[in-house]
Amino acid sequence: MAEVQPRSRGLTLDGYAVLLALVLALLVRFNLIPAVKW
Amino acid sequence: MATTASSANSVPLSRPSGLLGRILGLIPGLLLLTAVGFAGKLIEQSIARYTKAHHITFPNIEYVLWAIVIGLIIANTVGIPRVFQAGVATYEFWLKAGIVLLGSRFLLGDVLHLGGISLLLVAVALTLSLTFMHLLGRAFGLRPKLTSLLAIGSAICGVSAIIAAKPAIDADDEDASYAIAAILALGAISLFTFPLIGHSLHLSDKAYGLWAGLAVDNTAEATAAGALYSDAAGKVAVLAKTSRNALIGFVVLAYALFWASRGQAEAIQNKAAFLWRKFPKFVLGFLLISLLATLTFFTKPQLTSLANLSRWAFLLTFAGVGLRTNLRELGKQGWRPFAVGAIGEAFIALLTLGLVYGANRFLHL
Repeated sequence: MAEVQPRSRGLTLDGYAVLLALVLALLVRFNLIPAVKW
Repeated sequence: MATTASSANSVPLSRPSGLLGRILGLIPGLLLLTAVGFAGKLIEQSIARYTKAHHITFPNIEYVLWAIVIGLIIANTVGIPRVFQAGVATYEFWLKAGIVLLGSRFLLGDVLHLGGISLLLVAVALTLSLTFMHLLGRAFGLRPKLTSLLAIGSAICGVSAIIAAKPAIDADDEDASYAIAAILALGAISLFTFPLIGHSLHLSDKAYGLWAGLAVDNTAEATAAGALYSDAAGKVAVLAKTSRNALIGFVVLAYALFWASRGQAEAIQNKAAFLWRKFPKFVLGFLLISLLATLTFFTKPQLTSLANLSRWAFLLTFAGVGLRTNLRELGKQGWRPFAVGAIGEAFIALLTLGLVYGANRFLHL
């Protein structure tokens, strides 16, 4: 089983997920993408 | 399965060399996740349309269940070819992005109220369940570190907690694989049993969501178990589970200190840095988006868009839950870790159900 290695630099999986969500939130906020339907 | 799930967590996404190649390598798996999730959604819609057109009374089976079942069938019949595996492993990434986006559906006051109740219940459940799991592990003659991993996995948050604890308590690879396999198998069982129990007890959406968030181990399974009950229950389950996840660092630190005091793990030099390293950062993203929604940073249609984006992210997650569950591999792990996990899970499910009943009565959920 691979181990979680501490890293001195670079984003973790969580960091990238937060970044993506924030970018999407800003795109929605400033109407840069059309309304998202379900 | 457990092996690849964990390595998905440890992959340093920031490595610049071959980044494009790595991204391209994710595409087949991502397409598979989308196809499975979308198929689940289509089946739900088709059944709803058909039963409505023919005036048939039929319970609405959410896309969540269809996506998981389709994934399970594929993974356990034809299997997942190597080319799809990297992309399928991203389901945890979509889960976390979906949770952060779901923050837009909560006012910060609700987060603090429900999250506070969750934290209180988690603290009680945690103390009792860790004690119970250790007694159980001893009764079944499991290795102490395997018992520690099973206790952390079932009391806190499944696979992520085990992965976080493994290096901290210097546990064997084999023990970690056993614990992960047992927790994943039990998570899959809870997906089908929790909604049935919730309906038979006529639990409200809030009470059920809180129960699922407190009792189901993995965040993906807790989210799915909540969503299988209702949309509102899914929302509460995510909040309760997120509160539980926030405690991961403290529990792992306590175990690390315990094993270090026995000379069987390395001593922790900087406890604050250790806590920060183990803290799930997506919780902060969830709180930030919730704060922005509370400050009316988003208009109502924009909040709807964010909620829908969160649903799409969860659709990929649920497809991944099914695709990553290899029942044959789980069967190979031996019955004792599974039995300890299963008895422990049943205990935790009953305990948290009692706590939720109490909270519903005295703390007005």
